[in-house]
Amino acid sequence: MATGGSTASHSPHQESGPIERFVYDDAIVRKFIFASIIFGVVAFLVGVIAAVQLAIPPALASVKALSWLEFLTNTSFLNFGRIRPLHTNAAIFAFAGNALFAAIYYSTQRLCKTRMWSDKLSNLHFWGWQLIVVCAAVSLPLGITQGKEYAELEWPVDLMIAVVWVAFFGVNFFMTLATRRERHMYVALWFYIATIVTVAMLHVFNNLSLPLGLVEMFKTGRTPPLADWFKSWSVYSGVQDAFMQWWYGHNAVAFFLTTPFLGLMYYFLPKAAEKPVYSYRLSIIHFWSLVFIYIWAGPHHLHYTALPQWASTLGMLFSVMLWMPSWGGMINGLLTLRGAWNKVAADPILKFYVVGITFYGMSTFEGPMLSVKSVNSLSHYTDWTIAHVHAGALGWNGLLTFGMAYWLAPRLFQAQLWSKKLMAAHFWLATIGIAVYILGIYTGGITQGLMWRAFDETGRLQYPDFVETVMTLMPFYWLRVLAGLMYLVGGILCLLNLTMTWMARPAKYEETVHEAPALGAVFVDPPPQPSEITASTEWAKDVDKKYIKGWFHRVWERKPAKFTIWVLIAVASASLFEIVPTFLIKSNVPTIASVQPYTPLELAGRDIYISEGCYNCHSQMIRPIWAETRRYGEYSKPGEFVYDHPFQWGSRRIGPDLAREGGRQSHDWQVRHLENPRQLIGDSVMPAYPHLLKDTIDFETIQARVDAMAMLGVPYGDLVQKGKATEAAKAQAKELADALVTQKGYADMGDKKIIALVAYLQRLGTDISKPPPADATKPATASAEVIK
Amino acid sequence: MAVKDFLSDHEYDGIREYDNPTPGWWHAIFIATIAFSFFYFVYWELNPRASTPQSRWAAAQTAEYKRIFSSVGDLQNDEATILKMMGNEQMLNVAQGFFQSTCINCHGKDGGGLNGVNLTDDNYKNVKKLDDIFNVITNGANAGAMPSWKNQFNQNERVILAAYVASLRGTKPAAPKAAEGDPIPPWPKPAK
Repeated sequence: MATGGSTASHSPHQESGPIERFVYDDAIVRKFIFASIIFGVVAFLVGVIAAVQLAIPPALASVKALSWLEFLTNTSFLNFGRIRPLHTNAAIFAFAGNALFAAIYYSTQRLCKTRMWSDKLSNLHFWGWQLIVVCAAVSLPLGITQGKEYAELEWPVDLMIAVVWVAFFGVNFFMTLATRRERHMYVALWFYIATIVTVAMLHVFNNLSLPLGLVEMFKTGRTPPLADWFKSWSVYSGVQDAFMQWWYGHNAVAFFLTTPFLGLMYYFLPKAAEKPVYSYRLSIIHFWSLVFIYIWAGPHHLHYTALPQWASTLGMLFSVMLWMPSWGGMINGLLTLRGAWNKVAADPILKFYVVGITFYGMSTFEGPMLSVKSVNSLSHYTDWTIAHVHAGALGWNGLLTFGMAYWLAPRLFQAQLWSKKLMAAHFWLATIGIAVYILGIYTGGITQGLMWRAFDETGRLQYPDFVETVMTLMPFYWLRVLAGLMYLVGGILCLLNLTMTWMARPAKYEETVHEAPALGAVFVDPPPQPSEITASTEWAKDVDKKYIKGWFHRVWERKPAKFTIWVLIAVASASLFEIVPTFLIKSNVPTIASVQPYTPLELAGRDIYISEGCYNCHSQMIRPIWAETRRYGEYSKPGEFVYDHPFQWGSRRIGPDLAREGGRQSHDWQVRHLENPRQLIGDSVMPAYPHLLKDTIDFETIQARVDAMAMLGVPYGDLVQKGKATEAAKAQAKELADALVTQKGYADMGDKKIIALVAYLQRLGTDISKPPPADATKPATASAEVIK
Repeated sequence: MAVKDFLSDHEYDGIREYDNPTPGWWHAIFIATIAFSFFYFVYWELNPRASTPQSRWAAAQTAEYKRIFSSVGDLQNDEATILKMMGNEQMLNVAQGFFQSTCINCHGKDGGGLNGVNLTDDNYKNVKKLDDIFNVITNGANAGAMPSWKNQFNQNERVILAAYVASLRGTKPAAPKAAEGDPIPPWPKPAK
């Protein structure tokens, strides 16, 4: 065995430097672990609120005693469309993010036998990240959003993330690797490298956007009001934007929630179990296959959409191939515990790991299954996906984080854990909470999917009324509230336990001084073990002993720069294989002559749609599936979205699809429905938007909005001339407000935000059935677009 | 596990590594998924005769239209045809599906009217005779308060929808909206 053999295998030639003394920085780990658990509790709490918001509207209508909770369904900054991104961002970036930083800062120092390279950078990283979290917590409820799932944060925050991630965290980490005193890098470090490199790449390329403030200042020639500094549009549109978003979105799961947590597992599990890791060679195979295959899988979020089919197929197939690489991590985790199961029975920390890793195995089986197109045709847009991500986030990320926190607490705070009983109680609360959550929501999701596609024997939809399908889910929605509460209480117990342990800390932490020799410049790798191939050429034997048997990898493990470059090549080349054709092949997005840019007013309305987070509940993508076109109308074509910066296809149908909403209802209906949906649909769970009937449109920014779109390549013709777009918007708003009055609707709505939003909604999906304009090079004028 | 573990000489912060062979079933499934993917891609992406979601959708549409409308064929939008459809239980049932998915937001589940008109009383705003219902569905009315549905439903569908709407007249909704427009004479008797 090339990489195996006994401990007595010949030792390599190396030159050691002088013995050096050093102390690990545990203060930074203490900060990150507290931040993780505190923000975890916040994320769970916001999750419970969001769950209540979906479940409570019918109860509000029937139970008088609950009426004081009405504010949960009609307060602009508390509405589901803004709360849901807050929940997901808090769970991913604040809870899991701070947890993975704690893991990386604790283990990297020990695996490299050195203190972090720079305490200053460590602290800049910590405080910078918390500032980002606070910015998210303020901006998302205010409706400041890019409108792309898990990439909602606006460009100033995105810039902060890029700086903190690359300049503080990345530099500090790689300089720590460079100054390490351990010759070879352990598998946990490989996963950390993949995390840092890939997340940076994903974040930068998905978030390229054009800020409104800059356009106003330099193009439109106007001093931007403060709010306009926090608005931008994706430089990509429609199909390409959807592709980039899910390339990012899926790989955020891969490289933010999977690879760093696998690294965490590889360090903390053998530590807690006091057992060697099961298989080094499995680490190698599953690391590289995971890193290379994961990056292709994003398009599985876009099956049956307007994305070109080849991309969708690649997304499915790489997801299927990803099954075993993912399970490699699970096997290495669970089999490390061979012979230690008696310990697992007695130690809640190991229980957290075992259940967490088991959830990882379940989720990474379920993921490939959901990415199979025929399964996805049922599951997409339903709660099934929501159950899936919670199995991953609560089960895998959550339980691993808690296991690590409890293991670290006595070591970091140098005091006994305050209560083992409470820790055990937390384990059961969390585990049962997840089980209730996912079983309930799985059932709900599948029920929903089956109801949407059910036809009766005469060929009509069996449940044509969408609200009926929502009402069926109510018992499951309440189950979710209960499950969320259990998980939340568990999180609070953890915070309490950590805080009490911290209170019992010594007056001054004892800081152990470690000793290790610096790495010398000279290192000669041990020769590869001889090949066991007998009947073959020397060349084959050479390949066998150096490559097949993994000798080369051991050499890479002492070369962080080379290792990092290979990781970058793996993720970037796979990305380019999909990205380049998506952007360059014209036939991927056949244009449709009658599809014209949004009018200036509709554009302003679209920004309101994004800001209110409508995409969190409403898709704008009808799939070529009979049940779907029967319910919503003609299926969506790629060419319909070429002016959509950003795309708004959505991923959920808590409410019905809106791709063909234009003209389906009167203006009056739209206004009253937005004012309070329950005026018209008694069982609706949609939030009310009374503020849109009061807030006025800032017509002056509309010119800059049009200018920005023109800069991104949308053919706006002479509307970019100073003031023209604003003028057109005012004209259309007046026309629409007049039509509203004719329809016996509210008067005086001409300058209210609602008019812009209704203009946008009435435009959705209508172009495809219009005749193409006589002069296709000229965009239609504003007044021609008003739905008569 | 019968095979002896190989403990490598790697050690990091006290963590040791075995170098156990990867399980055979793991390799087998991994290779199987790769092989499956290869054949799947060749069949679905490189084979010009493979169906696409769009072609399957078109086939489903043809089959469904045949299933629903084969007994009645292409329908005219005249009074006689609408009247005939009012007596066709199957067509009324299909049309009720359309009504439930598109019309109830304004006209109510039972046609009693919300911010759309009451369809159950004898008063009508834009309808004098049966085929006017078809025209209103097709072109909309009242400055877009009633939208046009000609892009969403084909002629057959609009004809049976008109028949269904007409059949609501005289039913008793739970919360009827006040009458709008003028009373019109009852629908003609169906020709036997």
